[in-house]
Amino acid sequence: MPDTHFYRYDDYDRTLVAERVEQFRDQVRRRLSGELTEEQFKPLRLTNGLYLQLHAYMLRIAIPYGTLSSRQLRKLADIARKYDRGYGHFTTRQNLQLNWIKLEEAPDALAALAEVDMHAMQTSGNVIRNVTADHYAGAAIDEIEDPRIWCEIVRQWSTLHPEFSFLPRKFKIAVTGSPNDRAAVRVHDIGLRLWRNEAGEVGFEVIVGGGLGRTPMIGKTLREFLPKDELLAYLEATLRVYNRYGRRDNIYKARIKILVHEIGAEKMREEVEAEYAEMKGGALRLPAETIEAIAGQFAPPALPHRPAVVGAVEALKLEDRDFALWLKSNVSPHRLAGYRIVTASLKPAGAPPGDASSVQMEGVADIADAYSQGEIRVSHEQNLVLPHVAVEDLPVVWRALGRLGFAEANVGKITDIIACPGLDYCALANARSIPVAQSISNHFASLARQHDIGDLKIKISGCINACGHHHVGHIGILGVDKNGVELYQISLGGDVDFGKTALGTILGPAVAADKVVEAVDALVGTYLDQRGEGERFVDTYRRIGAQPFKDRVYAAV
Amino acid sequence: MAKNLSGDLTIASANRLTDGVVVFLDDAGEWTKRLDRAAIARDKRAGEILLERARAEGFGVIDPFLVAVSEDDDGVIEPISLREKIRASGLTFDAIAADAVRYA
Repeated sequence: MPDTHFYRYDDYDRTLVAERVEQFRDQVRRRLSGELTEEQFKPLRLTNGLYLQLHAYMLRIAIPYGTLSSRQLRKLADIARKYDRGYGHFTTRQNLQLNWIKLEEAPDALAALAEVDMHAMQTSGNVIRNVTADHYAGAAIDEIEDPRIWCEIVRQWSTLHPEFSFLPRKFKIAVTGSPNDRAAVRVHDIGLRLWRNEAGEVGFEVIVGGGLGRTPMIGKTLREFLPKDELLAYLEATLRVYNRYGRRDNIYKARIKILVHEIGAEKMREEVEAEYAEMKGGALRLPAETIEAIAGQFAPPALPHRPAVVGAVEALKLEDRDFALWLKSNVSPHRLAGYRIVTASLKPAGAPPGDASSVQMEGVADIADAYSQGEIRVSHEQNLVLPHVAVEDLPVVWRALGRLGFAEANVGKITDIIACPGLDYCALANARSIPVAQSISNHFASLARQHDIGDLKIKISGCINACGHHHVGHIGILGVDKNGVELYQISLGGDVDFGKTALGTILGPAVAADKVVEAVDALVGTYLDQRGEGERFVDTYRRIGAQPFKDRVYAAV
Repeated sequence: MAKNLSGDLTIASANRLTDGVVVFLDDAGEWTKRLDRAAIARDKRAGEILLERARAEGFGVIDPFLVAVSEDDDGVIEPISLREKIRASGLTFDAIAADAVRYA
């Protein structure tokens, strides 16, 4: 199926990526021959997304705003099979990581990526990273405007931007086009939220200085309403202020969130607005035809009319409890009544969260071709999304995903765990994440129990860098190393829902690795005993506070 | 079995340049994937010498460094830190296979 509802590379993009591959091929050749030292080569490989982890090189592939065509997903599967061990890890930044890449083959892998208009540039280094977006973009019932149009504009502006190639630290931008924030915009360096003002105009709320990591911060709104055509000017002004004043003397204090915190949101706003005043209406103002041209590439697929209520679906719902549970948790409303958004859970019981084999990726691509206009999204919660599935196709899609092991009815439930790769792979980690996630997943495997517990987000990070977003988990779990022993710090009450964004509070002393499941069980038990009508775990926590949870956990472990 | 956990025992390790694989320096000055063939330095000075040797043999590897190990009565060595144990022995869970459609 051709890529029809996506941004397609033009000659400029294609030439840029192809040249970059050949440059990297030459750099690798020079490194292998000894012409380049590791010190000289490291920044070159990192800027092409190639890290050295514990056991091997890891290639982090950018999936622009989490959108993939079936053709691209098949190519990723093929690259994983040919150049890696036949599986990949979808990340909280909507990227794909391949964990066993050989340096000598990395240029070939990048060349293969370029065949489907993809690359790994700016997935590392102190640059503007891959822009992330709502994974329901273009399909969500609550969407004001497709955020991917703006992500693509930001991608084009930020790729190899000379002024912003040596920022004080990495820089992450997220965009949402819906009031229900599914892109966690308040915990990014810049979060952009499209909204409609009283005059009926659509513009951006610009949120700056959020982030997780060592010093978690919730972003501050610098601009309530920015006209859309001024987006790049305002971003450039913000980045320019950060580039000028952001700290470079201490890596732990170099993110923009620290600058905003240190000088205050008001001063930051003054600085940005002053810079913006110089640029407003200038060369960075987006011409209407440019916006329209890019928007045209994201034109919604021409979905034929399909019935909103289908007897066979209703009947199966009554006959098959698993299907009924799946509809409840993994299927979301679509902007068209005859369609639904389906989430393929990459969290089957006991599996490493976010991992998919080449066969599974190809299987999802086949399902997308047959039932979802050839489109797939990667969510920051490490699942894959089929954005345009007709209601009457839901049973066949459910069965097909089931054959791949991706029909677990657990999206948003306790086993839909976000976990970073942790100490099993990562050179930065202090403790393992995946085995902890697996233990929790196995313990709570019963779908009936999960649905009784209801919505509960567990997020696990193997170190303070917080790739597993533990700060914003309803239950956050952070692995720490204490004298060579893995311990896990538990926090409660984190949330990324818009208007309720909150950082979790540490419950108490860290617990041993083999006590994490018991601790989570005690937390869930407390909730089930104390919950009020319609309350989610996090609602009960907000109402009754930490103490009842704390008492039960520390009595149990 | 009794183990020498004094932290005095060290071996030299690195990642191989071509593919990142974890390797250890053996007594012959070759880099090997086999932990049991690693040359052991038994005190601090010997460790310094081993590291110098590893750096001198560092053409095909990246950033050699010393790893603290323990040794049991049979002479079997094991890294002391969990990080180095994982580096030496691999993932602590079963990764999904390329042709797998289910995690087993």
